[in-house]
Amino acid sequence: MKKNLFFSFLFLTFGVFAQEPEKVIEKINAKMAFVKDYTVNAHIDADIPMIKIMPSNAKIYFKQKDKVKIESKGITILPKQGFTELNTFLSDKSKYTAVFGDSLKIRDVDTRLINIIPNSTSGEIVLAKIWVDQKNAVIMRSQVTTQTNGTVKTDFKYGSQIGNGLPSELKFEIDVKKFKMPKSVAADINKTSADQKKAKEKQRTKGNITITLSDYKVNTGLSDSIFKEKKK
Amino acid sequence: MLFKNTYNEFIKIVSKPRSYLGLGALTVLIGLIIFAMKADGESMVSFVTASFEQTLSFNGKLVNGNLIAFIILQMLVVHIPLLIALVTGDLISGEAAMGTIRMLASKPISRTQIVLSKFTAGAIYTLVITLWLGILSLLVSHLVFGTGDLMVLNSDGLVILPEADILWRFGLAFCVAYLSLLTVATLSICLSAFAENSIGPIVATMAIIIIFTIIGSLDVTVFDTIKPYLFTTHMASWRSFFEDPVPFDDIINSIVILLTHIVLLVGITLFKFNRKDITS
Repeated sequence: MKKNLFFSFLFLTFGVFAQEPEKVIEKINAKMAFVKDYTVNAHIDADIPMIKIMPSNAKIYFKQKDKVKIESKGITILPKQGFTELNTFLSDKSKYTAVFGDSLKIRDVDTRLINIIPNSTSGEIVLAKIWVDQKNAVIMRSQVTTQTNGTVKTDFKYGSQIGNGLPSELKFEIDVKKFKMPKSVAADINKTSADQKKAKEKQRTKGNITITLSDYKVNTGLSDSIFKEKKK
Repeated sequence: MLFKNTYNEFIKIVSKPRSYLGLGALTVLIGLIIFAMKADGESMVSFVTASFEQTLSFNGKLVNGNLIAFIILQMLVVHIPLLIALVTGDLISGEAAMGTIRMLASKPISRTQIVLSKFTAGAIYTLVITLWLGILSLLVSHLVFGTGDLMVLNSDGLVILPEADILWRFGLAFCVAYLSLLTVATLSICLSAFAENSIGPIVATMAIIIIFTIIGSLDVTVFDTIKPYLFTTHMASWRSFFEDPVPFDDIINSIVILLTHIVLLVGITLFKFNRKDITS
């Protein structure tokens, strides 16, 4: 009887641990699901090799499940991937298997790594790692490897909107190894190929984009028409 | 006397139909470029940003009046020398061919003043062409496409300049573009002093520009010593105003070299014209 009880306890314990990463993700998803839409002001600071751009401002509109619109007076550069893909992917439990990894302290917050392994090889996401603050049910860091865009690492900082799971700052680290100049367009008579080769060797392979988010307006009932592309 | 003769020279330029060819060609070319960019500008820009767009997304008005003006300036500064040479290459040789040079030399004005007045009239015509290029490319592009940040592609990468920081760059770029076109005008007037017909100096000017441009673009070490002294190497230095930070030292170097060419070519022309046999 004692032996049976011991094995039952052991099974139950392992059973609970096996459920745990999904439960953590469920909590995060529940928080995300509460936010039906939002608008936020973004200050974008991009430090990307081969691109020189001054800090710029934009307004970001978001509506569940994956509608995003960025409105800016000038030209802004944002990562292609990182705003909605991960959340959309995490919202469908059948698409992945979650496995706990190591614990890590990120900016004095205890986090736990969850490895997200897609169940299918045909999707865009190859592997995702998220470091989760389990107490607040928010992602503190993510590292997403995709088929086409390489690996994008994102650091999340939270402020007053932590209750809604909305960050106050996003810092993206992106891979810029693929950047190439179309020679026919960038013909520069004063630069020899040796100069260009030297410049290429000096070039960093990582770029950073920091987005500071402020003035969130949550669940105001954004119309779908906002997300429709205007004819140019 | 120099002023009066310059005025007469300019009247001569204005009265020739070929002088309007440049202005007309510019108007048509810029109109075509604006039409093409209005129709398909987005795809042209995405060709430039294609390698970045796998990782990054560009938001905002990429195709705007500032970008179109930059593209026009980039395309036309290469082709405008022909329009300039068409008029300035005829200034001395045209008179030699028609025989009016004898009458001109018999006036109470020195040969040096004749040459200087022709240079001044040629410089004014070049200024008119440059201003027309500026007005059409900037004003019309702004009217059609509106304003916005300027995205410039060079061999080091993309530079995105804020809208408020663009107008002075265009102003100075047009000044340097004018100086490079003035070098072309001076070259063709200089060649014109050696010729007895108009076609020779025009064709020779273009041939020199093409040869120098090819030498400049060939990545061969044997040409490395002469490349920095060719005026064609510095004709594109207006583009440097759209770099961040602006390489003022390089631009000043280009200006000095272009001015040296102008002074040398004017000197050669004066030397030749003062010894020119106009009696036979």
